[in-house]
Amino acid sequence: MLSLVSLFLEYLKQYIKTRLVYRWDFLAQFISDLLFQAVNLIFILVIFSHTTQLKGWTQGEVIFIYGYFLIPWAFFASFFNIWTFNDRYIIRGELDRILTRPVHSLLQVLMENMTPESLLGVINGIVVMIWGMSALEIEWAWYDLLLMILFIFGGVAVYGGINILLMSISLYTDSKNDIQPIIFNIGNYGRYPVNIYHRLIQIVLTWILPFAFVGFYPASFLLDQQAWRELAFLTPLVGLSVLLIGIVCWNRGIRHYRGAGN
Amino acid sequence: MLSICARGLTKEFRVFQSRSGLLGAFRDLWNRNYRIIRAVDHIDLEIYQGEMVGYIGENGAGKSTTIKMLTGILEPTSGDLTVNGYHPHRQRREFVKTIGVVFGQRSQLWWDIAVKESFRLLQKVYRVHDEQYEKHLRRMIEVMDIGNLLDQPVRKLSLGQRMRCELVAALIHQPSLLFLDEPTIGLDVLVKDNIRRFLKEINQEFRTTILLTTHDLSDIEALCSRVIMLDQGRIIYDGDLQRLRSKWGSGKKIHLAVEENVSLKQLEKYTEGLAVTWSKRTERKVSAVLNHDTPVSKVLACLVERIPIQEVQIEEDSTEEIVRKIYQGGETNA
Repeated sequence: MLSLVSLFLEYLKQYIKTRLVYRWDFLAQFISDLLFQAVNLIFILVIFSHTTQLKGWTQGEVIFIYGYFLIPWAFFASFFNIWTFNDRYIIRGELDRILTRPVHSLLQVLMENMTPESLLGVINGIVVMIWGMSALEIEWAWYDLLLMILFIFGGVAVYGGINILLMSISLYTDSKNDIQPIIFNIGNYGRYPVNIYHRLIQIVLTWILPFAFVGFYPASFLLDQQAWRELAFLTPLVGLSVLLIGIVCWNRGIRHYRGAGN
Repeated sequence: MLSICARGLTKEFRVFQSRSGLLGAFRDLWNRNYRIIRAVDHIDLEIYQGEMVGYIGENGAGKSTTIKMLTGILEPTSGDLTVNGYHPHRQRREFVKTIGVVFGQRSQLWWDIAVKESFRLLQKVYRVHDEQYEKHLRRMIEVMDIGNLLDQPVRKLSLGQRMRCELVAALIHQPSLLFLDEPTIGLDVLVKDNIRRFLKEINQEFRTTILLTTHDLSDIEALCSRVIMLDQGRIIYDGDLQRLRSKWGSGKKIHLAVEENVSLKQLEKYTEGLAVTWSKRTERKVSAVLNHDTPVSKVLACLVERIPIQEVQIEEDSTEEIVRKIYQGGETNA
C-alpha cells in the first residue's frame, strides 16, 4: 500500500513536470473549465428569470445543488476522466506496455492520465454552494460535513465506476464507439432536481445509470429535504457497487483482451 | 533450468467476416459470420536459462502472438505454459517482474518526459532499491553511451537513440528473461552493432535468457546459437543455425575461370568419385555445385594439377537465402 502511494506521488511529480512545460495549455484548460461552469450557471439564472419556482425548487436551491455537484465532478475529472482510452491504449496498442508492468493495469492507466489541476473545481464548487446558500437558510449540523465528504466519495465512485465500465467495452472490441459522450450527457441530468423529469428518467437516473447520486440526492439531503433522505444515505453504497462492477468488468476485459495490431 | 516451457501452446482468434455490399452490411447487423483463425498451433518450446534464441518467421506466422502469450499479455486458448516458473497470464503481476520486454515498433517509455525520469518511474514501478538501481543503471548508461540523452524527452530522440534507451529501460529491474521484438528494425549498422554487443555482454554476465524475433537474419547470425522457425503457427525448425544451413542450404558452389577451354566431360572425369555437378557459363568459366559432404579442398585438389586456373570463387547460400527458400517452399518441403 505504501509503495502504491509512493508510486502515485512519483507519477504526480512527473505529471507536474510535463505540465509545467506546457504552462499556457494549463491556463487555457483552466479558463475553459471556468467558462463552461459559468455557462451552466447562467442557464440556471435564465430559467429562474422566467419563474420563481421549479417544481418547488427555488433558484438558491438549484444553484446549491449545482455547486455541490461540481465537487465530485472535480475529483472525477482529476482521476477517472479518460476520453482517449480506446485510441491510445487499444488502437495504438499502449495497453501491451501496461500489461508487462507489475502494477494493476487499471491503476496504471488512471495514473498515466490523471489531471490533478481539475481539483481546482472543488473551489469553484464551494463558492457556488455558498452563493446558493446565501439565499437560503440551511442549518448545518456537526455531522453534515462528514456526511458530505462521504457522499462526495460515493458520487466520485459512481462516475468513476461508470467510466471504467465504458472503457472496459473497448477491451472487447477495438471499434470506436460513441457511447461515452452519450452516457456522460445523461450524467448532466444528475445535477438538477430529479422530480422535474419524467418518471422514467427518474428511474434511469436512480437505478440504471445512478447519476442522481452524484449531485441531486446528497445535495437535497444537505438542503434538509426529507423526501430523498433514504436515497441520499444510499450514496456511498451505490458508489461502491458501481465502482466494483466497473472493476470486475475491467478485470474480465483484460482476460479477454486480444492485443493490438498484426 | 528452464526459462520457457510450453506444451501444445495454442491461440485462436475469432475473426468477424463482413459480407460484401450494402445489403451484406445490413445482414451483418443481425447475423454475423465468424471464422476461427489459429494463430499459434500446438507449439512445444523448451528454452533454457542463458540461451539466446532467434524466433523467426514470415509476417503473420504467429511470432507476435507467441511473444504476447509468453509475456502474459494474451491468455493462451489451450496448452500449458510456464515461464520463469510462473503462469504468465494468470500470475501476471508477479511474473512480469522477472522479464524485460522491448517492442521495437512501440515505445515502452513515456513520450513526454525526459529519459531519466522514465527510468526513475520504472524504478518505482518495479520497486528496485536505490543502491542497486544506481549501480546497475550507471553501468548500462556507460555501455550504451546514452549519458547525453538522459535529459531529453523521448519524443525528441532519433530511432537509434530511442532504441538504446528502451533496452536500458527494459533491464532496469535486472530480469532473467528478455524479450526483444524486432529490436534493430530501421537502425543503422553502427547502432545495430552497439546493441548486439550490449546484448552479448548482458547474456554472458547475467546469464539472461534472450528471445528475439527479427526479420534481420544478421541479428541472429551475430547473436543466437539457436533458431526457431515458425510457419503458419507451427514450428518448422528448431535447432542451431549450422544445421539449418546444411539441411536447407543448396551446398557450396565453386566458380572457376580457366585459361583454356575445358569441356564438361573432362571436368567430370577429373572429379570422378566426388558428388559434384558441373555447368558451363561461358567459354572459360565453369561452375561446380557440391554436395554437403563434399569438401571444397578435395575438388580443387583434383583440378589444380590438371588445368590452369586463373581465378577461384567459392559461394555459399546466405542464411537469408536459405530462409527465403524455406518460406517459398512452405511446410511440405521443410
